[in-house]
Amino acid sequence: MDLVQTEIPEGFTRSAGGGHTEEYYLNMGPQHPSTHGVLRLMVRLDGETVKEIVPHIGYIHRSIEKMAESQSLIQNIHLTDRLDYLSCHMTNLGLCLAIEQGADVGVPERAEYIRIIVCELQRIQSHLLWWGCFAMDLGALTAFLYGFDEREKITDLFEELCGARLTMNYFRPGGCVSDLPNEFIPRILKICEHMKTTLDEYDNLVSKNMIIRERTQGVGILSKERALSHGCTGPVARASGINYDVRKDEPYGIYNRFDFDVPLGATGDCYDRYTVRIEEMRQSIRILEQACKDLPDGDFRSKEKPNYKIPKDEHSFSSVETARGNFSTYVVSDGGKTPYRIKYRSPNFSHIGAINDMASGYKLADLVTVLATLDPVIPDIDR
Amino acid sequence: MGIDLQLIPKVLDPLPGGKGLTNAVDYIVNWARSSSLWPLVYGTSCCAIEMMATGAARHDISRFGAEVFRASPRQADLIILAGTLTEKMSHHLKTLYEQMPEPKYVIAMGACTISGGPFYYDNYSVIKGADRIVPVDVFIPGCPPRPEALLHGILELQKLISGETIRQPRVPRPLNDDPMIDRHSADAAAWKEEDKKIQEELAGKREQWAAENPDFKAYKGERFKNVSGPKMGHTPVERSCTSVADICAAVHDKFPDIPLYNKAEITDEELAELSPQYIPDFVVGQEQYTAFISFLKNHADLNMDLLLQVTAVDWKDHFDVLVHLYSTTGKHKIFVRCSVDYSKENDTPEIDTISHLFSGANWHEREIFDLFGITFTNHPDMRRILLRDDFVGHPLRKDFEDSSRIVKRPY
Repeated sequence: MDLVQTEIPEGFTRSAGGGHTEEYYLNMGPQHPSTHGVLRLMVRLDGETVKEIVPHIGYIHRSIEKMAESQSLIQNIHLTDRLDYLSCHMTNLGLCLAIEQGADVGVPERAEYIRIIVCELQRIQSHLLWWGCFAMDLGALTAFLYGFDEREKITDLFEELCGARLTMNYFRPGGCVSDLPNEFIPRILKICEHMKTTLDEYDNLVSKNMIIRERTQGVGILSKERALSHGCTGPVARASGINYDVRKDEPYGIYNRFDFDVPLGATGDCYDRYTVRIEEMRQSIRILEQACKDLPDGDFRSKEKPNYKIPKDEHSFSSVETARGNFSTYVVSDGGKTPYRIKYRSPNFSHIGAINDMASGYKLADLVTVLATLDPVIPDIDR
Repeated sequence: MGIDLQLIPKVLDPLPGGKGLTNAVDYIVNWARSSSLWPLVYGTSCCAIEMMATGAARHDISRFGAEVFRASPRQADLIILAGTLTEKMSHHLKTLYEQMPEPKYVIAMGACTISGGPFYYDNYSVIKGADRIVPVDVFIPGCPPRPEALLHGILELQKLISGETIRQPRVPRPLNDDPMIDRHSADAAAWKEEDKKIQEELAGKREQWAAENPDFKAYKGERFKNVSGPKMGHTPVERSCTSVADICAAVHDKFPDIPLYNKAEITDEELAELSPQYIPDFVVGQEQYTAFISFLKNHADLNMDLLLQVTAVDWKDHFDVLVHLYSTTGKHKIFVRCSVDYSKENDTPEIDTISHLFSGANWHEREIFDLFGITFTNHPDMRRILLRDDFVGHPLRKDFEDSSRIVKRPY
């Protein structure tokens, strides 16, 4: 077989050749254990050094935006579960906020608190999974078992809350489906206490590990300018020093009542993205403790409507901070029963677009590290 | 393996008591094979997380000998189809299946791999059942199935393997490879016939029973009472950002003739009263489009440095291309809307690109090109992003029809 390709594969800016050794193309995915699903990366390599990356997406494009146009707004909530399934409470909330804003639906005080509690629990859950998979991608299998062990404790809580382990479908416009189960708050506080010691344990196990540090520090640097230009949000942007957290800057729900910090990175390398996420878990615990303390009695849902309609020719836009960044829902209405168009802005879409800036110039093994610290959820990218 | 297992029955069976020996060999071989399944690391979406949870500490798939997840299909004998299968992915699944050595088994995990699940209706990209592509041994229902259900599926597969014999080795099953085949309608019609027969048989018995029990009243059930809370309106959260009036003043200083969407006739007093929740939505012409975005990005006070998204809406006679911008310094948002003409005769709507201003716009514009068919001139890399290159049509257009792929929602 002729290994030297003369034709430039689509997407690349220039053909292989001209490096220290003979440059060549390598295909990674869509079936690859470290691409977190079905992402495909075409890489131009000089020896082991990555010169250029062209990502190919769409292998799990499920036409959710087309389906949305033939279902009523409330029937669409279960589809948002399947976008970013690791933070599906937050994506549910994104659509619910857009409906509430467009159809003028209010939310009782208790429901607001329930939403915050559930979302922050899920942020911890999602980051725990990321932490396990991150270490596994770097070759440490023990952390995967540790992360999933803690994650299952939160999954148990969610199962009791809404009957599902993964696709929750729990929020509705105007509140939640049901009230919190009995003895829920003490159990959350117990998990918070437990998580504090666990996070210290994680620091000892992974964060302070010399091999992990060698493999992440100074690797996959994304500058502030490039991160902004690519539209990066969430932990990826914050690691690059962009002080943007939707919870803080455009507070939705009652996030403005809580006292929490937004961790920022200095260099924007993989280790910064790692530490930002670990610190976010600590901040989520802080929010959880405050919310559990102040949780009022009352209704968990305002009065239901048979169908939620957004007035003709109006649009509503909501942004929420998922575990990965700014998730925006844009609903356009023509006054009918079903939305005219729904667009979901997924944070991962921008992050994968920026991967060429992050990983080119480093070794091929570092590309896996960069992908692991981006924490992509592919169905969220492809929608 | 050095021994050809198929020789064993040929040698042993004619001997007195040899059949028992062959059965014993069968039992041992099947026990060994069913207790050491090597699954392939294959997961496309949500179900993959439950598959990972099954492999992790709590559920511990290694109790059943199936924990050796292999990254290469050449080392695996089981593929767990965890997650939705789309048309673009199905070609790769075929390759994976063909690369696995015989004997190989397939577990279809979740509703999507059974029938398309939640993505059955109005969907142009999902394969409605993985058995249309590869032959499936065990189906596990659920969306997603619990880890216990996956373990149950593996136990069922073990039962299936333990029923095999070396007298009749498993015949390799070819790919089904027929993404459009309708496997459900025939079955559904057969069930309907069956049901009709049963109902006819039961009709006489029911009448008899009703005559014997004249006082019986059927339980009609109770409707769940709707939980109703207080009736209340939406109260936006207070937040500090640049006011709408300031944004409009800055914009109209340079571009005086750019109106707000749906608010073209707005007066300055009304503008000052708008809440900070209102996002100014400017309507620009195509000739000013790039200049206006560039102005917003480089303006010292507005400083729209973060591109949230570029998207489009099909209004049947024209497209609206929408650009959503955010400022990380002023904490405000601005939407820009540009109309692109489109008609049946002129099927190539065009607009200038903004990917030289924001690198992130590159992919968003490719997505619009893919799903709406709007071409962005001067774009560095204008090709389809989500769908396959040979896909015909642009699915998010309102006039898109593809009866071979789409099943219309019947209600």
